Amino acid sequence: MSMPSRGIAVGRSGLGVLWLGLVVLMTCLPLHAAERVNEGLLALYDFRLAKGELVKDRSGVGQALDLKIENLKNVRRSEGGLEVRAQTLIRSVKPASKVSNAVRRSGEITLEAWVRPANKKQEGPARIVTISGNSTNRNITLGQEGDHYDARFRTTETSSNGLPSIAGKSGSLNLKLTHVVYTRNKAGQAKLYLNGKLNSSKSVGGRTGKWDASYRLGLANEMTKGRPWLGAIHLVAIYGRDLSASEVLRNFQAGLDGESVRVELAAKQRTEKEKFFDEEIVPILSRHCLECHDTATRKGKLDLSKKARAFALSNGDKAIIPGKSAESLIWEVVESDDMPDEREPLTVEEKRLLRKWIDDGAVWTTEEIDPLAHTFDRRATENWVRRLTVSEYIRSVKSVVGVNIENEARELLPADIRADGFSNTAYNLKVDLKHIEAYSTLASLIVEKMDVRAFIDRYNKRLNLTDNSMRGFISNMGRDFLRGDLNSSEVAAFRGITTTVTGTGGTLEEGVGLMLEAMLQSPRFIYRVENQKGDGDVWPVSEYELATRLSFIIWGAAPDKKLLELAESGDLYAPEVMDEQIDRMLADPRALRRSLEFANEWLNLNRLANMSPNAKRYPGWSRELANDMKAESLAFFEEVIWKQNRPMAHLLNADVTFATPRLAKHYDLSPAKGEGLARYDLSGVPERGGLLTQGSVLTIGGDEASMVTRGLFVLHDLLRSGVKDPPPCVDTTPVPTKPGLTQRSIAEDRVANKSCGGCHGKFEPLAYGLEMFDGIGSFHKKDEHGNALREDGEILFPGSAKPVPYKTSAELMDLLTASDRVGQCLTWKVAQFALGRPLGQPDALALDKIHQAAQKGGGTYASVIRAIVKSDLVQKIQTESDNEE
Amino acid sequence: MLKGLGGITVGLPLLEEMAFSAAGTAAKDVPVRAFNVFFGLGIPAPLQKEGYEGVLEPLKPLREKLLIMRDVDQVRCDVSGINAHFDGATGSFTAMPAGGEAKAGGPSIDQVVRQAHHPDGLPPGMVPTLIGGTYFRRSRVGRYLHSYNQDGTVAGTMQEKPRDLFDRVFGAVDAGTGGDARKLRLKRSVLDSVVDQYKFYTGANSPLGSASKNRVAEHLERIREYELRAFEMKHRKDKGPKLPPRSELLHGGQADPGGQGIDITLEELTTEWHLMADLYALSVQMDRVRFGSITFLAAGERIRLVGDYDYDGRKIFEFNDPKQLNASGDQGCSHEWWHKFSEKKKNEQLRAHAHMKMREVAYFLNRLDSEKEANGRSILENSMITISTESGDGRHNDSKRELSGVFHAITGANGRFKTGEIMDVGAEGIDVYNTMVGAMGAKHRLGPAKRDRQHISSILA
Repeated sequence: MSMPSRGIAVGRSGLGVLWLGLVVLMTCLPLHAAERVNEGLLALYDFRLAKGELVKDRSGVGQALDLKIENLKNVRRSEGGLEVRAQTLIRSVKPASKVSNAVRRSGEITLEAWVRPANKKQEGPARIVTISGNSTNRNITLGQEGDHYDARFRTTETSSNGLPSIAGKSGSLNLKLTHVVYTRNKAGQAKLYLNGKLNSSKSVGGRTGKWDASYRLGLANEMTKGRPWLGAIHLVAIYGRDLSASEVLRNFQAGLDGESVRVELAAKQRTEKEKFFDEEIVPILSRHCLECHDTATRKGKLDLSKKARAFALSNGDKAIIPGKSAESLIWEVVESDDMPDEREPLTVEEKRLLRKWIDDGAVWTTEEIDPLAHTFDRRATENWVRRLTVSEYIRSVKSVVGVNIENEARELLPADIRADGFSNTAYNLKVDLKHIEAYSTLASLIVEKMDVRAFIDRYNKRLNLTDNSMRGFISNMGRDFLRGDLNSSEVAAFRGITTTVTGTGGTLEEGVGLMLEAMLQSPRFIYRVENQKGDGDVWPVSEYELATRLSFIIWGAAPDKKLLELAESGDLYAPEVMDEQIDRMLADPRALRRSLEFANEWLNLNRLANMSPNAKRYPGWSRELANDMKAESLAFFEEVIWKQNRPMAHLLNADVTFATPRLAKHYDLSPAKGEGLARYDLSGVPERGGLLTQGSVLTIGGDEASMVTRGLFVLHDLLRSGVKDPPPCVDTTPVPTKPGLTQRSIAEDRVANKSCGGCHGKFEPLAYGLEMFDGIGSFHKKDEHGNALREDGEILFPGSAKPVPYKTSAELMDLLTASDRVGQCLTWKVAQFALGRPLGQPDALALDKIHQAAQKGGGTYASVIRAIVKSDLVQKIQTESDNEE
Repeated sequence: MLKGLGGITVGLPLLEEMAFSAAGTAAKDVPVRAFNVFFGLGIPAPLQKEGYEGVLEPLKPLREKLLIMRDVDQVRCDVSGINAHFDGATGSFTAMPAGGEAKAGGPSIDQVVRQAHHPDGLPPGMVPTLIGGTYFRRSRVGRYLHSYNQDGTVAGTMQEKPRDLFDRVFGAVDAGTGGDARKLRLKRSVLDSVVDQYKFYTGANSPLGSASKNRVAEHLERIREYELRAFEMKHRKDKGPKLPPRSELLHGGQADPGGQGIDITLEELTTEWHLMADLYALSVQMDRVRFGSITFLAAGERIRLVGDYDYDGRKIFEFNDPKQLNASGDQGCSHEWWHKFSEKKKNEQLRAHAHMKMREVAYFLNRLDSEKEANGRSILENSMITISTESGDGRHNDSKRELSGVFHAITGANGRFKTGEIMDVGAEGIDVYNTMVGAMGAKHRLGPAKRDRQHISSILA
């Protein structure tokens, strides 16, 4: 072993006792100190403070878990080390919930420490690092048992004390500064490493669902004292995953170098720069630059939409030089207002942000910038407590008490208003007086419809109005009703209702009924209440919150008993359990209903019922035909997504549909026998096949079958893109068709026009293939003037430079189906509906991952849902710190 | 099927406890009020230059009580890729670009004033914010709703039928107790426990973030209102406004068939609007409402209007949009006249529509001008009433021009603002609004904190 290349901070104080450690360390570290591993880090203590009673958590992850030294006179502090000279306890000021919750979910941990024991006699084991409640209840403990190290890790197969433990080799402990690492993976393999080498291993099976988040983190003693450890501690790190042997070695090689520890801080700063790029720079580039400098246009051979191309012109000149705004071409032209060309210049503030970004290193996150990024609400990820939509309310009532309240709820509750494409957008789910009255009335109606006695018996057949009996009942039943444990004051509040009933001579059933009425009006029933408070960082959601999110996303309803039980045990965090539950839920009919609700919202099918096309022009239109069109699209969705389990993109070209005789006639199909919807094989009907050829979608163009409207639908809702405002002084008045002038020729004129074509060329050709369908979806080869219609065209996919030609409508559908951009857009749509909020640039990276995972899974609805619920967007929450209010 | 089950009872009488006393205003004091009046599609800036001799003629009888503000720019409200119907409408009274389809970029001025004067809520019995209107286009909420909270979310639910508005203001609530004292006690017990839970989630130990807490606080406020109407207020059946007749017009999704517009006669339109305006004005006169907004036709409204339009005993125009445009669907709607506007043409159809809109705005204003308050002025004169629209030019080919010169008119707000003038303000809407809310005693200012603000003292009395 050779001396590390960088010095050790712990020795700089000149304390003799620490110098000894330094010398020892120098003898055991390699020549080239490595960078420490950051991924999965939960807590980090480098003991940098040389005085005071606080030991700072410097992980920068979640809420800092700082430690407090109980008896300062029994320790000696230095810059980079803490020597415990006599019995004390160094304990976190609050529960180590960020560690415990993470490990509950992952089933994995790495506990790392640089320590120098004071002697080889201390045992118990003497606690070096522990997360525990007392001497017999713990999550994890790393300790010293005489001449070896010992680690206890609690699982469902160990005792609450984490026994049996894993012991290091006898005699392997010495009094030198030692790098000790305990790892445990979810398969149950536990390992103990000393100075980067495996010392001991053992299988510690079971799950970590019983880890107690209320336990604190302690050093040098048990929480209840009595297990003191003496010696020096120079670093403690905890990860929520098991580090591999090479990663353990890397951390050992990194040594105690202050520089290497600061890598974590640098990583945090990088995260802040990434955030700055996402939130400040992407909207500027999108708003001011991409109109001319996207992949398709690339004016001046500069493409600012893609990470791979943004920094240089194609001739090799540097457009952006990280750290050097003055030498960056982009800054030069923006500062002088030479760019944007013929558009408003950047504001002073936008220029300042752009310059700062370049000077700070021009950190770039997402591979490709969304052209609509500037229109995203920057507060898209803001947490809005979610009120249940009307349909979620109905299904949740059904789920918890088995009562069908659909008719009454739809009559009494105001309808949810559509915003940003869906009517479950959380920020818009407000309440008015009518809601309050409806919730109250519905609660009474629901209880009236219940067999309260039978409901009681599900929990306790011997329930009575005495305090103990009722409190137990309220706790058990309340968990199911309100999607999580009730605290004592909540139990007391509900208990108060039954007490009032008793006081007025009421019955047990009456008391429980009124209590249920209160629960049905509780914020915990009407809203999806989650813990949104934290330190401003992203935190994992709790078990019950996760169960609730899963259930509402997949079923649109409250979680069932099974999910709640798994949440209670913590087992839901186990990946294999999560997978099982997702499979179970997707197999339930509620998942199908929820997906149809998505399709209905996405395509805005309720619009059809309100349509009233010009009766002279479209005499065949009727309310019944509109209903048939809606039914067609929903049945088609069910067929492709559920019965055939095909990729979602196949919704664009599947050659099958469903029609009533009325709709079949409208489509020029030979009507099948019978009155209802019948399945039609469209393999011999080239003009039809896929959503875009269905009346439900084709009607969006209005009476004129507007190519602009249809093209924009494809651009926005299938290609997830957009265009800017028309440039000044363009006449935007629509031109009517006439003999010799078709929609297509009018559109081509617009596309050819210098002022219009830049944008219209991006969306009108997307609708060329639909010209043969009139305003209500009938197919014609000629328009009303006798003009021949066409179906050929070309499609320019966002992010690509060259348009792709197509000869027929069917070819257009095939191109759309094969496009990854379309698949990505569908993923975004499902994700928006699942999350109940508009998506923004900060979501882009997570959505990329979701899309990739979904495509690996076949691109089916099930695979998209699976990827969404397993993503950080569902598994975690952006917390808000107190000082943000 | 649900009649009598507790829906807001039809035919409900006036609440007995009128809020006059609750308002706590001294004899000669008048309450602070702020209302936004929105009309769709706007008045092109060149037509505003004609003053009361042009399309503004119907406002002329009220000219001494109005300050017409021309040359007010809302360009900062432009949302790229979306035409001014939506972004101009959401920017009216907020002066900020929209934050979402149903979210403004900040609070509306009526809510800023409300928050300044009633940070802890309005006196019991009052509707905190009343939002009503007669409109049809509804593809985005910002097109028709014009009161927004601090966080940009809507400040209340739109009451689009006269009966709905009536119920919201004057309706009592049936708690389903049937007058049974024991039932009443038990229902109160249930409600008490519900209130306690909502209080917890709005309190210091709430696990909710600020946006969510505000949402739950609004819910709690509505529960309080419910509680008051269900349990605490006695009703009397002998006095009070009569229940308005059932609306004959299309509402909900039917009123906006895929953005294609509806056929409607002038009489149908104005009959419902007058009822809506009457009820809204009555709510203000009875001091049940001090803040809110009212809409006459949505931004980018699509109606195919027919009927003779008379004003002041003379025929102004014969509306027949589909015939005059020779088109059906959206292309046959009056909306198209705004797209066809040209300074070089007569624009007679647009002029007639805009004139009619001013007549209807004046109808509402006159309702508030009918009686004097304790200080000798009418409610119209004592309130901050702001009249505006979505654009200063209906052509979608220059977003800057489209959002420049957006028509604004304000009332005197009890002597705070100049009236009796037509003023070329030459300022951004945000500066005008901030000057207004400042004069109304609010400290909050719209827009980014770092912005250099201009004080538009010329509008102050």
